[in-house]
Amino acid sequence: MHLLRQVHDGHLGQHSLNSWEWETLRLDFEPLKCIACGLCETVCSLRRDSVLTPMTSSIILHVEDKANYFGLVLKTRSEGVVMARPEGVTSGQQPAGSGGPGAKPILLREQCDLCGGDPRCVRICPTKCIKAVD
Amino acid sequence: MFLANGRAGVIDLSSGEVGEQELDEELLLGRQSSLEVVEKLASEHGQDSLVLGTGVLTGSLVPGACAGVMRGPRGRAPLLGHAGVELKLSGFDFIVIKGVAPEPGYVWIRDGMIELVSAPSLKGMDSWGRTDKVRDQQGDRKIQVLSVGPWGDACSPIAQFVTDYWGGEDKAGLGAEFGRKNIVAVAFRGMGEFEVSDPDAHFDSCVRLRDKQVAKLGRGDGLASFSRAAAREDFRALVHRDAACFGCPFPCRSFVKVNEDPWVMTLSSKEPGYLHYDILALEKAHSLWISAKDATQLMVKCAKAGVEPCSLMSSGHREGFDGLLASPKDIKPSSEDSSGLSWWSAISDRRKNEACLGLGLCPRYWAKAGFELGPLDPCVQSALGRGLRTDW
Repeated sequence: MHLLRQVHDGHLGQHSLNSWEWETLRLDFEPLKCIACGLCETVCSLRRDSVLTPMTSSIILHVEDKANYFGLVLKTRSEGVVMARPEGVTSGQQPAGSGGPGAKPILLREQCDLCGGDPRCVRICPTKCIKAVD
Repeated sequence: MFLANGRAGVIDLSSGEVGEQELDEELLLGRQSSLEVVEKLASEHGQDSLVLGTGVLTGSLVPGACAGVMRGPRGRAPLLGHAGVELKLSGFDFIVIKGVAPEPGYVWIRDGMIELVSAPSLKGMDSWGRTDKVRDQQGDRKIQVLSVGPWGDACSPIAQFVTDYWGGEDKAGLGAEFGRKNIVAVAFRGMGEFEVSDPDAHFDSCVRLRDKQVAKLGRGDGLASFSRAAAREDFRALVHRDAACFGCPFPCRSFVKVNEDPWVMTLSSKEPGYLHYDILALEKAHSLWISAKDATQLMVKCAKAGVEPCSLMSSGHREGFDGLLASPKDIKPSSEDSSGLSWWSAISDRRKNEACLGLGLCPRYWAKAGFELGPLDPCVQSALGRGLRTDW
């Protein structure tokens, strides 16, 4: 419980959780806090592949830059694809075109594994737009 | 090699030849800044070459590690937003563009490949149309496009390239170099990856450094944190959302909507406004008593035409800006500083400005956060497996 509370506060730090402890964790979004810095999609690969790249991330920064419309798309294990748009957060099957046309659509990506209970995107997000909740 | 590709791509537009040049690890990892490397490459390949480059920390988790640089015969400009990172992820640390294209086209870089795409259909288009067209042709909305408009085609001394749709980096007339080379854009998409020396330590040290800086700086207020003109009520009333460059916790880009209600968060209007980060242009407009709305509309027109707005506003031409924008003219640049730096971060320490950019760090953010090598060291050591030279 102590560890889960630390997750809530976004200060999990170096602790790692046993699988039973983080099975009920999920990522929650406040899309209007997003500033499109792109760190979440860059660090996603760091734990899985020990490299920095947006190409293998489970989370995508979706940007329509001419309209300043941006948000996040996350491929999850339990909720399908979570779309954190400026107008609100939805989840389910991926609508056509979500994640934007691009080099590697969300459907071809791995599901988020919550980094084993210590989601890197949560810790790197400078605005706390991404939170881990139980 | 950590955080680097170890090579430069070279394209000769005249002959169509494309090549690669291996870059020595000592050259890249701490011995020389990217500003020195672009000059070295220019001296090898011709001073009239356009050279694009990235710093050793570009694309790392160090706060504000977004920056690249473009160097031309008349000066240089930072590459900000997501352009620097995408360039490095495209497979090259540096790109050399030399010669003149036989017909209008754009340079297309991705996956360690570089080519000239012939595109006579882009002739006569503005920069926004060209960015859209390049992205449509290559099928990816995340392609970073440095493009010029008619003023670049005409090689006007005050032509500027815009990054995707927004102007602000190019105060050195590099847009005119596009025209001289008969290219309308340089586009790149990063699909690569970087290794770092110690991933966990790099992550932890960068988060710690970022948290300290955020605690000192606060949440920020978009461009208003940097510019009095952006703090004005008429500007703030039009601000939609603030956006950051790659890896920056303190956004300095404020999107102003003039064609729809700024509170609209849905994707409705395709061209609702403009992303302001050009402090000098905004301050200049303010000094001329131009309202935030009119200034924003003027910036859109300047960006589309590929004109540096301060020089346009300072030109003293009497026919009005719309009339002036209608046809490219031989106007003298308003800034004597072709370094593309001291104006940009609005701090006076040129050496620190250059050190930041040479490392791949945003001079504007680091001017705010306070640039010192000491606090950076754990982030650098964990990324590169070595420290930086100490004479930055």
